[in-house]
Amino acid sequence: MVLTRETLKALIQEYQGFPLSDEELERVRPELENYCRAVEQLRALDLSAVFSGRLLRVQEGE
Amino acid sequence: MPMAATELLGLTIKEVAPKIRAHEISPVELTEAALTQADRLQPTLGSFITILHDVARKQAREQEAALMRGEYRGPLHGIPIGIKDNIATAGIRTTVGSKVLANNVPTEDAEVVRRCKQAGAIIIGKENLEEFAAGMTSNNAHYGAVHNPWKLDHVPGGSSGGGGANVAARITFASVGTDAGGSVRLPGTFCGVVGLKQTFGRVSQRGLLVTSYNGDHIGPLTRSVHDCALMLQAIAGYDPLDPSTVPVPVPDYTANLGREVRGLKMGMPANHYFDLLDPEVETAVRQAIAALEMLGMELRQVALPMMQYAGALRIAVMADNLVAHEPYLKSHWHDYGPDVLYRTLAGQFVLGRDYSKSMKVQRLIKEEYARVMQQVDVLVTPTAPIPAPRIADKTATLGGVTYPVRGPGSGVISRNTTPSNATGLPAITVPCGFTEAGLPIGLQLIGRPFEEALLLQIAHAYEAVSAATGRRPDMLEQG
Repeated sequence: MVLTRETLKALIQEYQGFPLSDEELERVRPELENYCRAVEQLRALDLSAVFSGRLLRVQEGE
Repeated sequence: MPMAATELLGLTIKEVAPKIRAHEISPVELTEAALTQADRLQPTLGSFITILHDVARKQAREQEAALMRGEYRGPLHGIPIGIKDNIATAGIRTTVGSKVLANNVPTEDAEVVRRCKQAGAIIIGKENLEEFAAGMTSNNAHYGAVHNPWKLDHVPGGSSGGGGANVAARITFASVGTDAGGSVRLPGTFCGVVGLKQTFGRVSQRGLLVTSYNGDHIGPLTRSVHDCALMLQAIAGYDPLDPSTVPVPVPDYTANLGREVRGLKMGMPANHYFDLLDPEVETAVRQAIAALEMLGMELRQVALPMMQYAGALRIAVMADNLVAHEPYLKSHWHDYGPDVLYRTLAGQFVLGRDYSKSMKVQRLIKEEYARVMQQVDVLVTPTAPIPAPRIADKTATLGGVTYPVRGPGSGVISRNTTPSNATGLPAITVPCGFTEAGLPIGLQLIGRPFEEALLLQIAHAYEAVSAATGRRPDMLEQG
């Protein structure tokens, strides 16, 4: 998955209102590439049976 | 500085506390020694944002008066410590390492600060950190780079880099840092000191500024495991005003120190933690594990297959960070340093669907750790995959691949520490060796929830045989 410069501009400049230059926008990209990689990797993972909650083993009331 | 003062600062809390109690050393004398050392080394290390000369002297006089009245408050009484500058201190500016909050003066102490003061500790300064605690180098765009006392052209780790440097350089006896992805444990390993991230909910986060509610922790950096136990004792406990804390009784963390570890089981993960390592780090950590076996611990291989999806944990962190910065980002974006700004802005792209998936992955990873921790008492891993990079380095190469070490896309340095922020499990780093170049290496022990006492017991046993114990940075030997 590749994010185009137009998408970067649309979200950061037009939607959020940060007047970054094209060069500055490109500096956001490495973090987004990590994000996209993680999302791609999750596609094959079935998460439908996962419930919320914590699993800390706490011995309460001692 | 007179030799006696230098020697005092070279002691541990365990060693100096009885001398304070016996009136052999006064809190005023010890605080003056610490302030002198702080002033002397600040131009070299850049480890403080604010040195609290007047505040510390006043606190020291009060603690001395308390001692003279026979009111001994425990092992932290009269001990000079540092507080990371993202933890609120009443009447003292708390910048979070940012220009945005350069003039922020909280009206209230964070709960951990209140507890440290109540225990009699003397706060000598607010410590430098990565801007907004958002990185692993402590190379701060606004307050300067913190330098590693072991090698001044190298980073001290981050984001609690000032604290790690101060403890290693014998300026403070302990530091209170914060750890959202390794920010206590990485300065611990890079500066050759002990760093603890205790169980999520064990220590109040109230007063920790500009942070995510999900996965941040306040924890101690010290020069010994025993001192770490003493610091945890002071700051641990339920805080009715912090809903993240849990009302679990606080045990005596020093009670098990010195007990043998024979028969305890340690798990060595077969995947993730040892996949991507500098060869010198791997050698030192494997030697440390062998040393624990010599102490009678049983070694088992364990598998954590869900860790192949660990990259997804970063998705939630990206979105959480954006929300944490929301009050400042729109109005002060031009006051942000580039590394934090661009990294934070990326959070805008996170979709709700992906956030939810990330939280489900977090849940699966937690379940997997919970299962594994039924088989073993602790996990043993390297704390960081590499030794401290140079301050000037923008990248690090591991396994033939080049990774950024700061700013957007970075994260390789914290790949072994962030999992414990997601699981909430306690984790400690203990010095276990040095590279040929003289940079410290750390062993990470990960324990079961609220079993910090066991974690400290094992760390203490290892510390007694570690090849790294007793070494000091050359800059201290040179005076």
